Amino acid sequence: MNVTLTMAWRNLWRNGRRTWLTIAAMIFTNVLLVFLISLQLGMYDTMIENSLRAFSGQMQVQREGYLDEPRMRETIAGSSAITAMLREQLGIESITQRAQGFALASSQERSFGIQLIGVEPAYEPLVSSLPGLLGEGRWLSDSNAEEIVLGRVLARNLQVQLGDEITLLGSGADGSFAAGLATVVGILDTGLPDADRSIAQLPLGTFQSIFSMPDQAHALVFEFPDLNQVPARKSQVETLLSKKQLLAQFQLAVHDWDALQPGLRQAIMSDMVSAWFMYGILIIVVSLSVMNTQLMSVLERTREFGIMLALGIKPGRLGRLVLLETLIMSLLGMFIGIFIGYLLVAWFAHTGFTFAGMAEAAAKYNMDEYMYPQASLLSLFWGPGTVFIGGMLAAIYPALKLQRMHPIEAMRAV
Amino acid sequence: MASVSCKDLCKTFSQGDTTITGLDKVSLEIERGSFLCLSGPSGSGKTTLLNAIGGLDQPDSGSISIGELRVDQMSKTELAEMRLHSIGFVFQAYNLIPVLSALENVEFVMQVQGVPAGQRRDKAMAILAEVGLAGMEQRLPAQLSGGQQQRVAVARAIVSEPALVLADEPTANLDSKTSAQLMDLFIELNQTRNITFIIATHDTRVMAYCRRLIRMVDGQIVGDDLQEPAAAAEPS
Amino acid sequence: MSLPLSAITTLAWRNLWRNHRRTLIILAAIVIGVWAMIFMNAMMRGMIDGMVDTGITMLPGHAQVHHRDYLDDPSVVNSIAALSPAAQQALENPDIEAWSARVRVPAIISSERDNRGVILLGVDPAQELGVGFDSTDLLSGRFLESVDDTGLVVGASLLEKLETVSGRRVVLMSQDPDNEVAERGFRIVGVYEADTDAQEERFVYAGRAVVQAMLKMGPEVSEIAIVGNGYRDLGAWLPELRAALTADYQVKDWRELDGYLEMAVNIQDGFVVILAVIIFVVLSFGLVNTMVMAVFERIREIGLMLALGMRPATILSQILLEGLILLSIGLLLGNGLAVLSILPLQSGIDLSGIADAAEMAGMATTLYPVLHINDMLLSSVVVLVLGLLSTLLPAWRASRFDPITALNKN
Repeated sequence: MNVTLTMAWRNLWRNGRRTWLTIAAMIFTNVLLVFLISLQLGMYDTMIENSLRAFSGQMQVQREGYLDEPRMRETIAGSSAITAMLREQLGIESITQRAQGFALASSQERSFGIQLIGVEPAYEPLVSSLPGLLGEGRWLSDSNAEEIVLGRVLARNLQVQLGDEITLLGSGADGSFAAGLATVVGILDTGLPDADRSIAQLPLGTFQSIFSMPDQAHALVFEFPDLNQVPARKSQVETLLSKKQLLAQFQLAVHDWDALQPGLRQAIMSDMVSAWFMYGILIIVVSLSVMNTQLMSVLERTREFGIMLALGIKPGRLGRLVLLETLIMSLLGMFIGIFIGYLLVAWFAHTGFTFAGMAEAAAKYNMDEYMYPQASLLSLFWGPGTVFIGGMLAAIYPALKLQRMHPIEAMRAV
Repeated sequence: MASVSCKDLCKTFSQGDTTITGLDKVSLEIERGSFLCLSGPSGSGKTTLLNAIGGLDQPDSGSISIGELRVDQMSKTELAEMRLHSIGFVFQAYNLIPVLSALENVEFVMQVQGVPAGQRRDKAMAILAEVGLAGMEQRLPAQLSGGQQQRVAVARAIVSEPALVLADEPTANLDSKTSAQLMDLFIELNQTRNITFIIATHDTRVMAYCRRLIRMVDGQIVGDDLQEPAAAAEPS
Repeated sequence: MSLPLSAITTLAWRNLWRNHRRTLIILAAIVIGVWAMIFMNAMMRGMIDGMVDTGITMLPGHAQVHHRDYLDDPSVVNSIAALSPAAQQALENPDIEAWSARVRVPAIISSERDNRGVILLGVDPAQELGVGFDSTDLLSGRFLESVDDTGLVVGASLLEKLETVSGRRVVLMSQDPDNEVAERGFRIVGVYEADTDAQEERFVYAGRAVVQAMLKMGPEVSEIAIVGNGYRDLGAWLPELRAALTADYQVKDWRELDGYLEMAVNIQDGFVVILAVIIFVVLSFGLVNTMVMAVFERIREIGLMLALGMRPATILSQILLEGLILLSIGLLLGNGLAVLSILPLQSGIDLSGIADAAEMAGMATTLYPVLHINDMLLSSVVVLVLGLLSTLLPAWRASRFDPITALNKN
């Protein structure tokens, strides 16, 4: 074995307790970072997935400008043909048309102004998670059925039950008076207070006839098997639509989930930033611990270094020795930390992780009460890698101290 | 090389307010193959002179050459190179790297010198055998006696086949029998390999081994005598 | 032999600075750790306070009185006719800063271009200004002037959605107690801005008497929103009011009205301790290391002191004192740094770069860090107590050295 490496290794264990304490600090930090980062990344994925499944979908085609100001009249004409074409060309079924409009919903007892959503009964369940959250009754049967499903709280506020009729009044896409009738067939328990208070969905055909917008929709909503497909699919859809002259003719625009729910990425980014503030502090504190250990280990070996310098060994080589020692220590801290962290993540990925008060937070952010950390190369190495770099940087100071060491004075040191 | 020549060396140290004279116009010529002792009380400047010759300490003025090389004009890096390749050092006790075995201590210097890995081990084993440490190669310094540690230091000093070995109080921590054995080893190496030895000491038993004895007081050479070595170089 | 405290202190102090680099490095670690604990807590507090603030403005108030069926069925039929004299009396409590009796019904607002569902608030401007509406929120125009004011004050975002402008007429439509459609035209006289778009699109303000007339109801109201002096501890008025209400009415505080806010506040309180402990654990490795090193490089010296007859307890206290001095300096500097770094941020940190995310979390777009003396104390106590615990081990071991063995240690 290389003598320098041997020397570095043995030097570390000259004061085993100190070395282990320093490595333990790194291990503790690394385990914590691996776990928290895996938890965060796992949470983000679920958060994105759930949010998109419940509301916007991963991607939408809309009229230009509809995203900023959703006006009734900004419709996609001939939407069923476009949707059929897209389903065929993309080779997926999970594309659905939606329309959205405001109406006064009146039961026998009460009236409320609500946001009505027209959906395709056959395709909506492929895209959205809401149809699966029926607490009572059934899902919409046919595109032209005069049926409606309501959120739990909305149904209570309207004082309606399954089978009751609701009158809908509003103004149509063309500005005309819009009126319709629908029977409550299902009540949704989404667990999301906002959704339960406001959700009202009826078949697209019925919606179109009430609001005088035949074969028109406000959005085509896409769901792909994997979120990572979105960028490629977006340009594919844009190409398809422009080839068929639809993009320009109908002034259509394709929006990915980032544009549809800008708060999502921002929330993730800001959560990441504030979390990394804390991680950064931990890493600095650990690095200072490494610096202290290596400084001590250099100072107590002053005599020894003095002799080596006198023998003609250059200070640079001694500096590298100290860095090599730190490298071994940091590598040990990193791999043991990653290993234990991985076990912890694997365990909680299996059982799920939760804490007091999580259920309410989960409801607000549309998440599962249990969080499942997700081990990935990124989540395993991101934190520990930074700790590793921090530790190596911290060793520079003690290594530099060696460069200014004078052999004679060093040899005289006790 | 290895004829050492010093001219008008001066060196002062300041300690607090007072200035201490380390070397005061020291001039000295040492021929190749000498076995020379620098003696004198502590503070007389013998270690300072030794350090100046070894390039560990720069004189304030004057010149030092080893062979054709002007030591006083070399850069720090050149000095380190010179010490590594051309000069062997033996210091007082505790001058081994404590975490390396006897063999590795010798090997380490060779590794730094860039000796190929294959040659290192054989050469280190041979040198250790030569200084009488066969069978103890794997021991750590702490497992060796003071005399054995100094033998390892000698082995390390001569492994690169320097023409000059500088020793600073090499027997300071040794008993008289072990001192005698170490000096015998020095004499033997001096004769068989024609290595120049310069030894700084205030141990009279060590002085008795030298052919040339230089006495220093207050940074000046006050005596420079050739003498017949009292102890023979015969193997004991 | 036992030394007076002053002598021990001097010894401890000098020993601490024997190796000033090491002491400075561990000190830096303590200072950064303590600073981070307090700084992050201040940020977190600011965030939670912002959320609670926004939440309380949305509600509004720290507590609300309703008809017992109103929360399930927010209709004019579930109104408050008149409060008992005892309840009136309870509202006079000096700890109640303001209260506002409001009519609050779901309604539809229509401009020439669009319709939206909103909450119509019939308010007495004199009362409302201290509760749900702040005159500084007014973007243009004016707020209502009396209960009989026929104007309407709407949010900026709603105005945009309705594609109308200030000064135009809009129609509000709701239900009277007989389930008949009640509608009335209003002229928009004022536009306000709120922390979130959701808030701006939700509430429209009109004169209370005007709304009562429009809804064909008597002098009844839907809710009484009450503002106390601080959200954490509401004070005695809440139970008093609760006791004074008749069975038909109920009072709920903001925690009951918004469970999410309550949870956020509870999580924050737990967070202070968890954060302090996590940062401390990482810190403690370095601390123990430093103290162990400081003790073991002095083995001979300690052996000498023991041989000279110094009591083990004195050794123990001297080393603990070193730890205490180190921790105290660290705490002092850490707390000082925290105060210094938070003070310039008191005027608020602009979060408009992440406005959408802030809105998702129910926060305002300006974050005001809140430095609580209690957080500083708690973090400091955690560091001090755990820190002394971790110096206890090396100190105890040092006091138990055998003098002869220690003296002979190299």
